[in-house]
Amino acid sequence: MAAKPGSAPVTYSPNLGQKTRPPIFKDNDLDWVRPDGRGFHQCRPAFFRTGAVNSASGSAYAELGSTKVIVSVFGPRESKKAMMYSDTGRLNCNVSYTTFATPVRGQGSDHKEFSSMLLKALEGAIMLETFPKTTVDVFALVLESGGSDLPVVISCASLALADAGIMMYDLVAAVSVSCLGKNLVIDPVLEEESYQDGSLMLTCMPSRYEVTQLTFTGEWSTPDINEAMQLCLDACSKLGKVMRTCLKEAASASQE
Amino acid sequence: MEYVSPEGLRLDGRRPMEMRQLRAEIGTVAKANGSAVFEMGNTKVIAAVYGPREVQNRSQQINDQALVRCEYSMANFSTGDRMRKPKGDRRSTEISLVIRQTMEACILTHLMPRSQIDIFVQVLQADGGTRSACINAATLALADAGIPMRDIVTSCSAGYLNSTPLLDLNYIEDSAGGPDVTVGILPKLDKVTLLQMDAKLPVDIFETVMGLAIEGCKAIANYIREVLLENTKQLEYRRGL
Amino acid sequence: MVGLSVGEKHFIQGGIAQDLRSDGRKRLTYRPIYVETGVIPQAHGSARVRLGATDVIASVKAELGKPSALQPDKGKIAIYVDCSPTAAPMFEGRGGEELSTELSVALQRCLLGGKSGAGAGIDPTSLVVVEGKVCWDLYIDGLVISSDGNLLDALAAAIKAALSNTGIPKVDVAVETRSDEQPEVNISDEEFLQFDTSGIPVIVTLTKVGRHYIVDATSEEESQMSSAVSISVNRKGHICGLTKRGGVGLDPSIILDMISVAKHVSEQLINKLDSEIAAAEASEEES
Repeated sequence: MAAKPGSAPVTYSPNLGQKTRPPIFKDNDLDWVRPDGRGFHQCRPAFFRTGAVNSASGSAYAELGSTKVIVSVFGPRESKKAMMYSDTGRLNCNVSYTTFATPVRGQGSDHKEFSSMLLKALEGAIMLETFPKTTVDVFALVLESGGSDLPVVISCASLALADAGIMMYDLVAAVSVSCLGKNLVIDPVLEEESYQDGSLMLTCMPSRYEVTQLTFTGEWSTPDINEAMQLCLDACSKLGKVMRTCLKEAASASQE
Repeated sequence: MEYVSPEGLRLDGRRPMEMRQLRAEIGTVAKANGSAVFEMGNTKVIAAVYGPREVQNRSQQINDQALVRCEYSMANFSTGDRMRKPKGDRRSTEISLVIRQTMEACILTHLMPRSQIDIFVQVLQADGGTRSACINAATLALADAGIPMRDIVTSCSAGYLNSTPLLDLNYIEDSAGGPDVTVGILPKLDKVTLLQMDAKLPVDIFETVMGLAIEGCKAIANYIREVLLENTKQLEYRRGL
Repeated sequence: MVGLSVGEKHFIQGGIAQDLRSDGRKRLTYRPIYVETGVIPQAHGSARVRLGATDVIASVKAELGKPSALQPDKGKIAIYVDCSPTAAPMFEGRGGEELSTELSVALQRCLLGGKSGAGAGIDPTSLVVVEGKVCWDLYIDGLVISSDGNLLDALAAAIKAALSNTGIPKVDVAVETRSDEQPEVNISDEEFLQFDTSGIPVIVTLTKVGRHYIVDATSEEESQMSSAVSISVNRKGHICGLTKRGGVGLDPSIILDMISVAKHVSEQLINKLDSEIAAAEASEEES
């Protein structure tokens, strides 16, 4: 399931509001090109499609470069009997990797924390009080891991939730930035991620301008944080538009 | 290997009938209903008691007595070589069962029907005799929680190496492969509630070894009573009585 | 889960709004920290940290191992946290696993820096004995004994204290080994190397209740949170890691404000912790 050859992939790259930005690249750094030839502040082309799994109440497929993710949403359905009564709904997330997702077979299993990260990124956006006593299950499967897996999973999951008709305040868009030396590189691929000095992942609801999840690793100074967050927020709002277009297309297709 | 030197000293310098130093502290886990730390030499365990409280799982409820549950777990750093064991392996399941049965025998469960008592023991350092240390810690924690008991239970182990009965084996002596007798008694009632032995021993020697372990239990019982008394005095003092 | 009545909830929220919390603290005041080092003699370093009723133990164990082929000049550091059921009955069996993983990952993120090892609190290159051949593998284990909120800050403090208590045996490498052979090493029993722990960050968790944020929340206060952000800050005032833990969305400007508050709070916390660690080390040497 790849982008149709006819339709040009939807690219987006954030523009920075500041006009006079000090050059962050030293002379020798400029020679350095990203493995896929993108600019430092250019994201990979994003492709989204809803309705990838027929049996699920909602599903979505996302492809950014070589990162391919499929998310299916089941529910809301009755919570397990053992669970205590709750007047808000429950969200249950699970992220798994296929055995062929990584270059070396079966190496994608060290991502136990992804499930809880996905849960935390989404729970702030979902109106849990609209489905008391029930559970929504979100199952994400990374078909191919090509870097920035978690952000892609989160964006794709929010699309799948929208496809399932779960009430949400807004879509959740996620973008990560890697810090390589002095450069900030948006939407890193696997190779860049393995050499990164620091990383930042930001998930936000673009229309509400609210951050639902934010993680930093590595050492950051305040100006860097500001710049990286701006970069992410801008990219998120653009990614949000791409996701919105995908939903609109799906809706108009079903009307016809 | 020589476990008892010709001068009659063990590897850690103790006499054959000497116990390791005991230390106990009550009320270390603030959130629990009762808790205690118990140390026997380098072996250190924490016990926490929650309850009596409503039964969590309705299907386990017993209508005429309390449900006693126990979980034993070892910290990753408790043993000499670091290993990461999954929770609930066979050894810890067995020890959980032993502790539960021993404690159940002394708790007056019929006074608390339809309720649940949880005993959690956590080994911080293991240097032989964790089973005994856990039981002693659990007794203290139950007493701290104010749970009615027939008597305190105390436990101690004894072994037989180099034709000498040895009290309170440490890890090296324990792993020597000789017989290891663990006894739990109710000291006031003078009854045995727990008796375990691995390896084999002639009956007459077994009796001496067990006698030695019972003496150990009694010594521990005296110490535990002192600790409890001291704790009660403290509480009394704080109340201004 | 803490069962609170409506009145209690209002009391906690109202207290926080008026900058007087239910235990008499201000919003940005920590509970007294007690540090005890050398609590686990079998480990290379250990410490116990108490923050009110929160009680955690951290231990450091070092084992000789082989560095990974990708990073021959670095030792390996692993952080695991375990929640003992003594802390809360809900941690029984596998119940504590989820929280344990969450805490382990957050600590790894905050203490170990990026993938390339830059910005790590512990310099992994200092663990190498022979490049590409022998290195120390550092296993850091945390154990939660009693839990009354703010576990992450307490664990990070305990790990910092345990590392400053850690002595790694000096290793002598036998000379004259061919390049394809595993060199013979000799572990010294007497000489120990200390870590430089000045670069290890502290974690400050800001819990947002209502419109305000508080540090060092108790479990009652944590149950009222709308969201929490854990920020790890080192002595230089640089951010070494950040995790948002659950809850509703936040405006980006609020997050930036939280970061600056955390920086401010961390200065006091680092100084307090350092003096506590020094005092604990001194009392350990005496005894």
